[in-house]
Amino acid sequence: MANKKYDFIILGGGGTGLAAAMYAARLGMKTLVLGATHGTELPIGGVITTTNIVENYPGFIKISGVELAKKLEAHARSYDLVEIKHEKANDIKKSGNSFFVKTEKAEYSGKTILFATGTMWRKLNIPGSKEFENKGVSYCALCDGPLFRNKTVAVIGGSDSAAKDALLLAEHAKKVYIIYRGEEIHPEPINFERIRKNKKIEVINNTNLTEINGDNLLRSVVLDKTHKGKNKLELDGIFVAIGHIALSDLAKKLSVKLDKNNEIIINHMTSETSVSGIFAAGDVTDKPFKQLITGVADGCTAAYSAYEHINKKI
Amino acid sequence: MATKNKVIVYSTKTCPWCKKTKEFLKANKIPFADKDVGNKKNADEMIKKSGQYGVPVTIIGKKIIVGYDIDEIKKAL
Repeated sequence: MANKKYDFIILGGGGTGLAAAMYAARLGMKTLVLGATHGTELPIGGVITTTNIVENYPGFIKISGVELAKKLEAHARSYDLVEIKHEKANDIKKSGNSFFVKTEKAEYSGKTILFATGTMWRKLNIPGSKEFENKGVSYCALCDGPLFRNKTVAVIGGSDSAAKDALLLAEHAKKVYIIYRGEEIHPEPINFERIRKNKKIEVINNTNLTEINGDNLLRSVVLDKTHKGKNKLELDGIFVAIGHIALSDLAKKLSVKLDKNNEIIINHMTSETSVSGIFAAGDVTDKPFKQLITGVADGCTAAYSAYEHINKKI
Repeated sequence: MATKNKVIVYSTKTCPWCKKTKEFLKANKIPFADKDVGNKKNADEMIKKSGQYGVPVTIIGKKIIVGYDIDEIKKAL
């Protein structure tokens, strides 16, 4: 028996989930946010807490990710109808018109469910990548960057996240390489320009890492192409930014349709999934442009669609 | 919650998990030395003690805890 009943249960306490909770409460829905759903067990606020400076969220010209996450959480918590728990959904079952969500602590029932589970970082899988994790291999430039003051590091990846990591690391390190397997890195133009202008940053395109070496700490990597006549590049650290894996396992279990990347397929107008009563929003979905601003908007849309769903039933 | 052990937290100013670790200790009124590893001396000290670069590192007595691990911190206190 579920010990508590809700109108709307949100899996994931990132920006998307918090915005959805805020809006659901405005629509009078009793709402539960289960926050510990991210694969890397990020704090409430989710992946934005690992972004140093956010410059693309309206209303804030420049704000730290942690500070913005705190504001989103406070906004959601300002409604009595919202409860936020740092619990992880381990299982969900549908029975009649209700969903039963089990965490390690309790079972909750909801009339509707929102997957705002986000993604986890894709791990680098080459010889040495696991052995040197935290010993030079990092997945969080914001967390570990200051430890590499006056050292030489590389960011692996070609996305906007990789570029932002490189810019942040250049504030600490003496030299930052960006190593990208494709033809040309592809950050947002504003960050590409910053990369071009930064004298500490050097981009190595069309190149893969094949091996990581060191003693007790990372000392060098092996490249699959020569760089300045050598395959070996001496480094103190590498920061991996090679994309994300959608956290959609529980949705799959509920027969929600996923695309080839395991992202939840949603109606881009309503945030509905293929299963009635289940909605999805944010980074876990098949929408191509994944930013806090888009996740927040989709979360609000999902809350409205859940409200409509419940009221149609009544 | 109380401890007779000396508690040290090595952290960076920007790391969300470091903030969470320190918030936990403060909420439980556990005094701790707060060492910013943005300072090279503190960074070298942390790397020497823990053999790695990840933060936060919490040292409670002789126990070294890497990452935000409240269960381990509670056990060591």
